[in-house]
Amino acid sequence: MFKLDRKLIVSASAVTIAALFTAGCVKSEATAGPAEATYANGKVTIDGGLYYPVVDGKTGPYLVNTQKQSGFTYGRTPTANEIAAWDKDVMPDGTGLPEGSGSVEEGEEIYEAQCVMCHGDFGSGGGGYPALAQGNAYEGQKTLTNQRTTPDKDGPIRVFGTYWPQASTMWWYIQSGMPHPKTKSLSNDETYALTAYMLNLNQMEIDGELVDDDYVLDREKFLKIKMPNEKGFEPNIDGPTALEDVRAYYSVPENFGAQKVKPSERCMTDCQKETAKVATIQNGGISDFLPPISVVRDLPVEEGETVAGKDDYESSCAVCHVDSSMGAPAVGDKAAWEKLKGKGVDAILANAINGFGGMPPRGGTDLSDAKMKDAVDYMINASK
Amino acid sequence: MNEKTSQKDLETLSNDKSLNESNRRDFFKKTAAFSMTALAGTSLLSATDALADDPAIMHHVPWGQKLGDPVTKNRYGIPSAYEHNNIRRNTKLLASGNFQASIAVCPLHESEGIITPNGLFFSRSHGGTAHIDPNMFRLMIHGLVEKDIVLTLDQLKRYPRVTRTHFIECPANGGQEWRGPQFNSLQFAKGFMSSAEWTGVYIKTILEDLGLKPDARWMLAEGSDNSEMGRTIPIDKVLDDAMLVWGQNGEALRPEQGYPVRLLVPGWEGNLCVKWLKRLEFASEPFYCKEETAKYTALKKTGKAIQHFYANEVNSTVVSPSPEKPWTDLKDGDLIEIEGLAWSGMGTITGVDLSFDGGRNYVTAHLKGLVLPKSWTRWSYMHTYKKGEVLLLTSRAMDDAGYIQPTVDEETEILGVEGVYHRNGVETWEVTAEGEVNHVQIRS
Repeated sequence: MFKLDRKLIVSASAVTIAALFTAGCVKSEATAGPAEATYANGKVTIDGGLYYPVVDGKTGPYLVNTQKQSGFTYGRTPTANEIAAWDKDVMPDGTGLPEGSGSVEEGEEIYEAQCVMCHGDFGSGGGGYPALAQGNAYEGQKTLTNQRTTPDKDGPIRVFGTYWPQASTMWWYIQSGMPHPKTKSLSNDETYALTAYMLNLNQMEIDGELVDDDYVLDREKFLKIKMPNEKGFEPNIDGPTALEDVRAYYSVPENFGAQKVKPSERCMTDCQKETAKVATIQNGGISDFLPPISVVRDLPVEEGETVAGKDDYESSCAVCHVDSSMGAPAVGDKAAWEKLKGKGVDAILANAINGFGGMPPRGGTDLSDAKMKDAVDYMINASK
Repeated sequence: MNEKTSQKDLETLSNDKSLNESNRRDFFKKTAAFSMTALAGTSLLSATDALADDPAIMHHVPWGQKLGDPVTKNRYGIPSAYEHNNIRRNTKLLASGNFQASIAVCPLHESEGIITPNGLFFSRSHGGTAHIDPNMFRLMIHGLVEKDIVLTLDQLKRYPRVTRTHFIECPANGGQEWRGPQFNSLQFAKGFMSSAEWTGVYIKTILEDLGLKPDARWMLAEGSDNSEMGRTIPIDKVLDDAMLVWGQNGEALRPEQGYPVRLLVPGWEGNLCVKWLKRLEFASEPFYCKEETAKYTALKKTGKAIQHFYANEVNSTVVSPSPEKPWTDLKDGDLIEIEGLAWSGMGTITGVDLSFDGGRNYVTAHLKGLVLPKSWTRWSYMHTYKKGEVLLLTSRAMDDAGYIQPTVDEETEILGVEGVYHRNGVETWEVTAEGEVNHVQIRS
């Protein structure tokens, strides 16, 4: 979402197209010049790496196509409506953030219906999905210097409130990428409500006021949010000096843990510290590889036919039922399912359709009754 | 060797040079019978005499006698059924619930050369693999350009093609092992990367006609998938070697790689190479995308985190032997190749050193094959194996940007152990007296 008036640019570009095609257009100097010009002028690359200029018709080992490479007339200008339909990003200064409002209370309601199955009670996380809050954000931010150098030490808390630099990211994320099984389905007001609930869970303040259970968030208040860890990142990426700041940062290897050395001066003997020892994998390490590692060359075991309900299970139900970390009975857990079957298969299906405990109706999906039955049957059969 | 049998075989062969079809069948039947006798007899003989005729040679093989598949079978070729263990793998640790915001890693221990077959290219997404109808693909380029544009796939592919070989690496490759080794596996310790020959168009070629406004400093690249994955790219890279690619190893991108079009920013973090691309927007300020916050930032021990951490630094690993492919079958005195990969997102590999004592002392390894910028590079060291020797194999690469891999201690002293991303300290395989291979780290 950029700040200039789009209509102006569209109309201006309509006038200038002809000129652009003949003259080329990357004319501006310094910040917007082509990389060839920028780097050829002696600037180092922005990432600290090496730049391969075109020399004798080659860049590095590759021959470069030196024929005419401009003046293409493919494509068309998008309409203003088309740009508006896709240009949904929300920037820290509020560009792209629509009007609207939502309360913490409404947010909690939506959260309990659509989010809790992955992000856990009160944003505590679970099942591999990120935690959204872990206590007071201002206190949590102070843990970012924590280092788990021994097993008994606590690590840094990296959740929305303690770590993220900008709140705009959360609003944009919720509306474009959440809820995970059905993204881009929340209204602006719902997104404000969920954002308010996030701030509430993280015990954050806006303009000195605690986002308590009665808080109602709107655009004006949103723009006053100051994230506790806003200044916790390097290099600087804001403002007109940003690119030079980034370039300067990556020109110093120590900043990012890198090492430079002349090849002739590299260490070839006695290169480890005296204190360095052989550290082995502890407690078996991580070994739940799927499928288990094998280098055998034999014929595979034939797989059976596709089973009814399997696809729907995998795309809609496995989110919570793949293991027990979300509190749902895990598929394959015989004991759990035997217990459920005590109530009768029809009762299991009814609960799945109507919702039960932490599970929203139909698990938050729009599967038909018949498809729900197939999926439930599949889960029961897979747990015998 | 049962001398009698082999002598008789030779006689049969030399005495009848005009074997017709039925005679030949008899000959092989007889040979098979003889070799079975030979096999039965060998167990009583001493080790040096124990060589029996190999049934794989002496017998008719099933595929040698019947007709093979017609060319009409498998209109798109598939690997031999026997290669079914050469696959991507995943682990629950690196997954959100149901493996839809997850990663499946590349079997480096079975990989050859510097190109990954498309079906084995590591697969990472933030909302599952999207399946895009190419007829509905649109790419919109807008923002601080003189002229906005919308392109269909066919229109995009009219631009002049550029083909480049580059690896793509997830910056979390090795990121689980800041506090010590975790994976006793090459596939999981280093397989968050793959390499391919990519075909597409330089973005700078398209921009030449669109025209960048002077204060365009950043480009948002956004996908059309479930997660609308987005990242902010500085204009320097856009105007250097960033590409929009639709070709992967001579065919269309695989869905897992962003079919029909992904961004390629050579050498930089894999997640910046946004898949299922739909939109490029140019702006004066960065976008603070969702994956530029808690994810893909490297928290240093100072409490400050590196954001916009672009290039994957110089790195290397021994790929043979590996925990998956140990040396347990080697005999004393065998000449064996220690083979490895080296790569740098900041330039071209200029050299690799190999240590047999965990990085205390190094010898120079040999680069081989094509040595390309921001690409996998193969290296080799020929070693005479001594049965029972215990080794700590550590490799260390350098690139032409001047960088060299740090030791584990050197890296953690600056960054701490909570960074998750961009770990490129030297890696070590322990070879045990039995020839087994274990992942270890040499650190204080």
